[in-house]
Amino acid sequence: MGETNTGTSSNLRQGHIGHVSQTLIYLGKLFRMFIFQNDWKVLPMSAVIAGLVSFTVGKNLFVSMEGTGTAAFAYACICVWNGFFNSIQSVCRERPIVKREHRSGLHISSYIVAHMIYQAFLCALQAGIIILVCYFMKVKLPQDALVVRNATIEFGITLFLITYCSDMLALLVSTIAKTTTAAMTIMPFLLIVQLLFSGAFFSLPEKVMPFTNLTTTKWGLTAICAEGDYNSLPMVSLWNSAYKLKHIKMEGDTEPFAIVFDYIEEHDLRDEILLKSAELNQNENYKHDALVVYKCWAMLIAWTLIYVGASTLILEFIDKDRR
Amino acid sequence: MRISMCSIVFDLLISLGYMMIFKKCGIKLFWAFIPFAREYQISRCSERENDGLVYAFFGGVEMLMDILFSFLSDYSYLVAFLSIPYLAFVIGRIVYAIRIYTGLAEVFGRSKKWAFLFIFAESVAALVWGFSKSFQPVKELNLYDKEGAKVFGGEVKAEDEGLSVNITERTATAFFKKKTLLKDIHMNIPKGHMVLLLGGSGAGKTTYVNAVTGYEKANAKVLLNGKNIYTEYSRMLFDIGFVPQQDLMRGTDTVKLTLSDAASLRLPSGVPKKERKERIEAVLEEFGLRAIENSLVDKLSGGQRKRLSIAMEYISDPSLFILDEPDSGLDGVVARGLFEKLRAIADEGKIVIVITHTPDRVIDLFDDVIVLAKDASRTGRLAWYGPVDESYKFFGKDSMEEILLSINQKEEGGEGKADEFVEKYADYMQEKVG
Repeated sequence: MGETNTGTSSNLRQGHIGHVSQTLIYLGKLFRMFIFQNDWKVLPMSAVIAGLVSFTVGKNLFVSMEGTGTAAFAYACICVWNGFFNSIQSVCRERPIVKREHRSGLHISSYIVAHMIYQAFLCALQAGIIILVCYFMKVKLPQDALVVRNATIEFGITLFLITYCSDMLALLVSTIAKTTTAAMTIMPFLLIVQLLFSGAFFSLPEKVMPFTNLTTTKWGLTAICAEGDYNSLPMVSLWNSAYKLKHIKMEGDTEPFAIVFDYIEEHDLRDEILLKSAELNQNENYKHDALVVYKCWAMLIAWTLIYVGASTLILEFIDKDRR
Repeated sequence: MRISMCSIVFDLLISLGYMMIFKKCGIKLFWAFIPFAREYQISRCSERENDGLVYAFFGGVEMLMDILFSFLSDYSYLVAFLSIPYLAFVIGRIVYAIRIYTGLAEVFGRSKKWAFLFIFAESVAALVWGFSKSFQPVKELNLYDKEGAKVFGGEVKAEDEGLSVNITERTATAFFKKKTLLKDIHMNIPKGHMVLLLGGSGAGKTTYVNAVTGYEKANAKVLLNGKNIYTEYSRMLFDIGFVPQQDLMRGTDTVKLTLSDAASLRLPSGVPKKERKERIEAVLEEFGLRAIENSLVDKLSGGQRKRLSIAMEYISDPSLFILDEPDSGLDGVVARGLFEKLRAIADEGKIVIVITHTPDRVIDLFDDVIVLAKDASRTGRLAWYGPVDESYKFFGKDSMEEILLSINQKEEGGEGKADEFVEKYADYMQEKVG
């Protein structure tokens, strides 16, 4: 035994490895978990969810105003769901280990940065998978790029930022929750808040609208709608509702609506009416403008940073955990 | 107004009932007439003090919200939003009330069903429990701090080598209440000694370990080889190895990788790669982990895991090595092997402190024993520090288990002689130090 312990305790007590080296160690651990602890399963899972959504609402994305609203919301929800599942258990499942390692000199910031890098890798893959699924299922993607040269890449960046922002929110929950059970109990509650307060799918009272700024879904779907030029798409709901009245008889056998519809179809006015109808329902927030996309991305990044900062701060108190 | 009068009458009845319950528990009677403080005092009576504090907090918030609602008479979004946390506080308060009254039923040796009568008809329950002579506490309540055993009060002179501990006290504040966890602990542990840390439940073993390692600082002076652990904590962090009771390692890493990461974290960055690698190889060899170096931690046996957990701390070659129940879950033969390994580490000139609940099977391997005991004020105190053989004479016992039994409180099945030995040891120290 004597030979092996020469000098490390007496010499070089100072200058232990820095933040970057620690980050690399933990990054290695996380990638090993990806391979050996089934963390890779989140990737096929995201493909399955994207497939289901593309199958149900994908055909209407960037085709009509209503379809785009619904589908953009659904795709934003997939990203939120993916993000949540990526890291909701990542810290709490190994909390006692982190506590032991913190006692042995672990820098919490290195630990969190390692998670940030690893989760960014996962989220980027998931965003890519969603786009691939859309491509294979022939879902229409945005055509005109606003910020970067390629519209598909731009759409992918938006999907990535939504996923990553939600991922960091889940990481925050994982640092707060002491057990995986507690984290999984909080998650559905947060998911409901994200869905309800997206500000688009459910009509909310005016006074509640400011709360929508707190959600990832609001900024995500706003960016998606802006990229897909929501305001220039036709609105079909009014036409479809009115068309149901076509064969209603009034004053005997007269079908006044049928006369009107026949006239419209004869003169090929349908598309013009759909566009006129859309024009009256345009949403200024979804303007096809680079500034709108920039703003949404900035908000998503800002929230991501807030969640990361809060996670680091909270985890610094891990030593206070009860024995 | 009639409703208000009714509620006042009911409240008075509750207070009367509580007043009589307080009399039985030994609590000052006037508390029965102060809302929320009354429930807190009942929680002390039911030995659920922390629950009582939460209850009082919820109740206080609820009352504040009630006042706020009276100003916001019209329905508004603010009222709607506030109603949600209000409801949460009401539910929380009811749950905590059930906890408190269940505890009260336990203390009075009654059915827990009484808790529901307290919830739904508090005045009736309080009057019955207060005025009926058949409702009496069935166990002794320690509501007020008792005087602890006398203190030695001095200090031991620090040696240049070894571990010198002078803990005046270690306190903790919970729910605005200060509690002394550890008090008057003084000792010098020489290099190369393997020390058993003995103490019953709540005697302060973990608190002592945390205070000595500087992890939770106490009002103390702790020197390791002449260096102050508290003032030079960040530098001395790697000179102290602490092995927790649970094997906290990632199951998906291999043994070698676990050690390699531990080496990267714990060894100074100035150690060359080659030396680091050699150190890992040497530790693998020393702890008999060579054959399983490529196995996943999840696949290891209890003994192998424990050895790996110790090796993780040993990799930085610490001067002070503390282990919390390293033999838990191990059979006698494996445990003996592990303690022999620890003895060998101590023989290298290191200080090894071990907490174990089955000391007698390996007591021949220890040099000294620290005996911590909970005194009358429920504070962790030093009842003995010295050679194992002398400890038998000091306590008049033949084994460590017997010593533990003698210092444990009576309600824990012990002889309740903690204060007697703490004072005897204080006198012994007084004589020794002067």
